Amino acid sequence: SGAAWARSLLSWARPERWLASGSLFPLSCIHTSTSLQRIGKWEKKNRIVYPPQLPGEPRRPAEIYHCRREIKYSNDKMWYLAKLIKGMSIDQALAQLEFSDKKGAKVIKEVLLEAQEMAVRKHNVEFKSNLHIAESLTGRGRYVKRIRCHGKGMFGIMKISRCHYFVKLVEGPPPPPEPPRTGFDQAKEYVQQLRNRTLVHTL
Amino acid sequence: LVLVRSPLPRLRALLQRCWGRLERGLWPDIFGGQSPPWGPALAVQGPAFLPQGINDAGKSSSEVPSLLESILWMAAPKKRRTIEVNRCRRRHPNKLIEIKRNIDVCPECGNLKQKHVLCGYCYAKVKAETRLIRMEIRKKEGGPFNAPTVETVVLYEGEKPTEKDEGKRIIERARKRPSWFVQN
Repeated sequence: SGAAWARSLLSWARPERWLASGSLFPLSCIHTSTSLQRIGKWEKKNRIVYPPQLPGEPRRPAEIYHCRREIKYSNDKMWYLAKLIKGMSIDQALAQLEFSDKKGAKVIKEVLLEAQEMAVRKHNVEFKSNLHIAESLTGRGRYVKRIRCHGKGMFGIMKISRCHYFVKLVEGPPPPPEPPRTGFDQAKEYVQQLRNRTLVHTL
Repeated sequence: LVLVRSPLPRLRALLQRCWGRLERGLWPDIFGGQSPPWGPALAVQGPAFLPQGINDAGKSSSEVPSLLESILWMAAPKKRRTIEVNRCRRRHPNKLIEIKRNIDVCPECGNLKQKHVLCGYCYAKVKAETRLIRMEIRKKEGGPFNAPTVETVVLYEGEKPTEKDEGKRIIERARKRPSWFVQN
């Protein structure tokens, strides 16, 4: 089990898996970011390959990372939608987004459907409904400044903002929501902190 | 590079200068004695009251702020709101989107629909068919203002007009009758 633990720990750092081309010609495996701009970190997360699991281990749930870059929408406004679907099952998320009036809801729905299809085709997911949203994040895209004309010859500078949207789907039912912290829990923790105190510089 | 000037500082400076001049004129002792207290150069027999006394008495009784005064006391933020304070406001539960609990499944097509709204898919289906029927009507009428005064009946492939459809206008559609369009 120690060897398995060490292997699983170093599974992310397997250099031969990170290279897209074969290991026969090491010199041609150097990636240069000329076309397709820069491949972001989120896209690379789909490329990690874990070693085969041992017979006794519990099944590792499939993880699918998907994102869309440079969406013409504000980062702050997109955050509300990302917060809405965090932790939901994929069906519930699609239902909520379908009837949301926001512009970003349509974009996120497309992203989720793409990710679901990717999961079934490439990531060995059996049931497309058996996915839940583990993480859903937004990022700031490139901003552009433009002039906005006001009356009397005055003008302001407005920024045209774009955002990225990242989602991580995990196979399995959604985890149950955490019960809210009650006063009793807080009191118990406080008492435990008091009990953990030790006396220093004494006999 | 272009400069952005908002009108407010210029207006504010102008009003401050006007107000300063007014103050110096009405209350010379308050200003600090830099200008000599002025009196009338020519002693004229006039009304036996001083403008200062009346003004003081008037001001103490009724403090009606004029537009010039109230404009200088406008609300303005004192300190920059920190990102922590901003986050508390933006992420407060009343600002988050509520999850909708009125979503059901349409019994006809199986798509999702809101409880109080028609199913979008079924509506689009009916709308497309209605558009084709309307095109047939347009072909039959041939121009505007030719609508007949009788009812219209839509018949699909293999249907004959019954005795109920005696005097009605008949529109033919070259397809099988859709299941949702019930014949009378």
